[in-house]
Amino acid sequence: MQSRQSLVEIFSTFVQFNADSFASWTADPKLRRSMQNCLQQSDSGCSRKRFGGVFGRFTGIRVWQGEQESKRAGEGREGRGDTSEHSLSSSSPSPSSSSSLLPPPSSLLSLSHLSAYLQESCYWVARKMALNLAGRQSAADLFQTAIARVNQVLKGFNPQFSSNLKSYAEFAFSNIIKDTLRKQQEADICTDWALLQKTSQKRVMESLEHAGLDTQAIAAYVLAWNCFKELYMPGDVKTTRKLAKPEAATWQAIARLYHSQRLSQLSSAGLNCSPERLEQWMAACAKAIRAFRYPGSISIDKPVTDQDSVDWVERLPGEQESLLTEMVRQEEAEDRQAQLNQIDTVLVDAIAQLDSQTQQLLQAYYGQDATQQHIAQLLNIKQYTVSRRLTSVRQSLLKTLVQWSQDTLHIALTSDVLSSMSTVLDEWLSAHYRRSEPHS
Amino acid sequence: MTSFDSAPSTLANPDRLYLEIPEIAQTLPQRPFSTPGACWRACLNQMTVEAFLPWLQEEHEPRARVWTSATTLPSVWEFVNGTAISGDGVRMVLIPSEAIDTEELRVPQEWVDIPTWTADYYVSIQVNPDQGWIQILGYTTHQRLKTRGFYDAGDRTYSLNADELIHDLNVLWLARDYCPTELPRAEVISLPAMPLTQATNLIGRLGDGAIALPRLEVPFQLWGALLEHGGWRQRLYEQRQGLPEQWSVPRWLQAGVSNLGQQLGWGRSELQFASVRGMRSAPATGIIRRLEIAGTSYELQVFPSPEASHPNGSWRFELRRLTANDLIPAGFTLRLLTEDLQPFENNEDRATEAVECLYVDVMLEPGEGLVWKVDPTPENYDREILRF
Repeated sequence: MQSRQSLVEIFSTFVQFNADSFASWTADPKLRRSMQNCLQQSDSGCSRKRFGGVFGRFTGIRVWQGEQESKRAGEGREGRGDTSEHSLSSSSPSPSSSSSLLPPPSSLLSLSHLSAYLQESCYWVARKMALNLAGRQSAADLFQTAIARVNQVLKGFNPQFSSNLKSYAEFAFSNIIKDTLRKQQEADICTDWALLQKTSQKRVMESLEHAGLDTQAIAAYVLAWNCFKELYMPGDVKTTRKLAKPEAATWQAIARLYHSQRLSQLSSAGLNCSPERLEQWMAACAKAIRAFRYPGSISIDKPVTDQDSVDWVERLPGEQESLLTEMVRQEEAEDRQAQLNQIDTVLVDAIAQLDSQTQQLLQAYYGQDATQQHIAQLLNIKQYTVSRRLTSVRQSLLKTLVQWSQDTLHIALTSDVLSSMSTVLDEWLSAHYRRSEPHS
Repeated sequence: MTSFDSAPSTLANPDRLYLEIPEIAQTLPQRPFSTPGACWRACLNQMTVEAFLPWLQEEHEPRARVWTSATTLPSVWEFVNGTAISGDGVRMVLIPSEAIDTEELRVPQEWVDIPTWTADYYVSIQVNPDQGWIQILGYTTHQRLKTRGFYDAGDRTYSLNADELIHDLNVLWLARDYCPTELPRAEVISLPAMPLTQATNLIGRLGDGAIALPRLEVPFQLWGALLEHGGWRQRLYEQRQGLPEQWSVPRWLQAGVSNLGQQLGWGRSELQFASVRGMRSAPATGIIRRLEIAGTSYELQVFPSPEASHPNGSWRFELRRLTANDLIPAGFTLRLLTEDLQPFENNEDRATEAVECLYVDVMLEPGEGLVWKVDPTPENYDREILRF
């Protein structure tokens, strides 16, 4: 993969895959124009610097986050940063996307520029994860999964405390991919009937919309699904994933409940529905859920190719640590750097105060990406204690960070600020332990 | 190799807390429910509470407990998802879900709009019964749920996208210390009082267990008022299970206190009366219930009026300290109300100075119900209707 050189490219081009490997950078004409306009408006002499500065100081993100805040009601349906319309394997926009739901152009534009900017971070994370999974999931699929959530990534970014957008994004993309894989694996184990029980109403509705049903049909299906949930349950607590198909009598009861509810709950009288039909609806519903977000089992037949490893090695640390980061470094006021150094000092000191087992726990979790089981074995504690300990030590560190920011920065603390500091803490821990880990 | 065994072997999100469901809670509920959905709801909630409460007590709120008490929970789960937890000055509702996708927090309107049911915080919890763990996905406040949540009139819920939640539960405790001006609660409008006849009619109608979704059958204001009254909620629950009257005091005296009454702390006892206004009266059988008020134990006694001058149908409610010779502090009130919470003449006794006991005598028709109240409010208090 060759790095993008010009600012225009960095903020307007997207990764194109050929099968499972990087093929080329594809430019988005609209973004390119937007970048060119932007650069022309600046002084020719220092345009680069100025533009870099703009993004470097994360004004782009602030603009975007501000826009998000002011239009909360119409939650994100942005094209490239979409959270709901891309599946693991598909990168094409869904036919259901309605133009009225799109955000104002400026917001979409900032998001698209930022999405372009983060392509490489996302690509390398996807690549690394695919390699770790020994080919059970393609890098292209993982990339799509992660980049589809770019607005979630940006939302969690705290420009004031985070050292660097790219490193934060890698951290966030990697969490998103792991989380998605975990969910997909859980869904794969479930029977259709179990999956119906284990899906949120929001997801059910999105899946049906994705499958092309109209509003009225979706309302009828969702009502039927709610009736199904009210009248059917697992026979045992330990085997809920193996839930079998309901008996005929249950389908009849579900159909009766549906009929008693449809007059009051559906705007039109609703579709008539026999027990058999209802069963078909639920089967279709389960199918839609799988097709939308859990498309197909993780493939285990793809071998690890040498190509993959070679690509990975190609990415030498600091190779093209990005023009931008460099510019950020030049541009950013010294006090910001000083602030980051202070955070470093405060947290390093706080960690030094912890007992050695707790330090080992942090080291194992953040530095070695060790599983909970592994950490439990390592520290000779019960598996569930790991999560509890981690939560508890994170709390003490978060408190230290919060206290420091209150004493030093005199910023108004709100739950949202605390919440983003919690994310910053994770990111910091992750970076800190990787720095000190010899084979990261 | 990165393992992604469905959690918690890999903690994809370090800010999420996983807790183990104790083996003992991993069973289907013993108490009856009118639909499989209600039974499963109870099961998920039970597992959630058993996993969450011990952790909460250990880490943050030693005095946290379920609201109103473990015994009344089935009458909540019969109708809605969620369990309220009360601690010192903080109240939260746990909302469990089995959903793998964890995309939304969906809170039944009852927890948001019934004044005595609302909480400061709503905690989104994922339950994985097969593997025996719960995951804390995040929380939100009443304020946010009201202002940013989407109200769905179809199933009467407020829902919030997962990305609107605060994922790290640690923030909740820090915010209480560092952001004292942030008020978690929005204003709630009280529900109109419900007369007895209307409540009786509604219980008669919705008491039919074949009606699977009673909460959607009548307008929310009526439904909320009915549910808010612990005695009516309990009766509705019992009626839907086809259980006979559980709260008849004369029957308790005759045949013993019902299981449910026992679980709520009622017992039958031979009461020896000391001098009442100088007269010595014969021992009588009564029912007693222990109350905890501000860390001290009291006993509420109910028995047929001991004074010979009182006709049949006359009952006495009496409040005493559990330990003999100790006094009830000044300011305490024992109050009786009709079933629909109306006061009546001579319905209360108030301690103007420290006294040995507070008591109220009352004349009742057969079948009439009464609600007792003590001020200050005892721990785990829920309105209950005693029938005579």
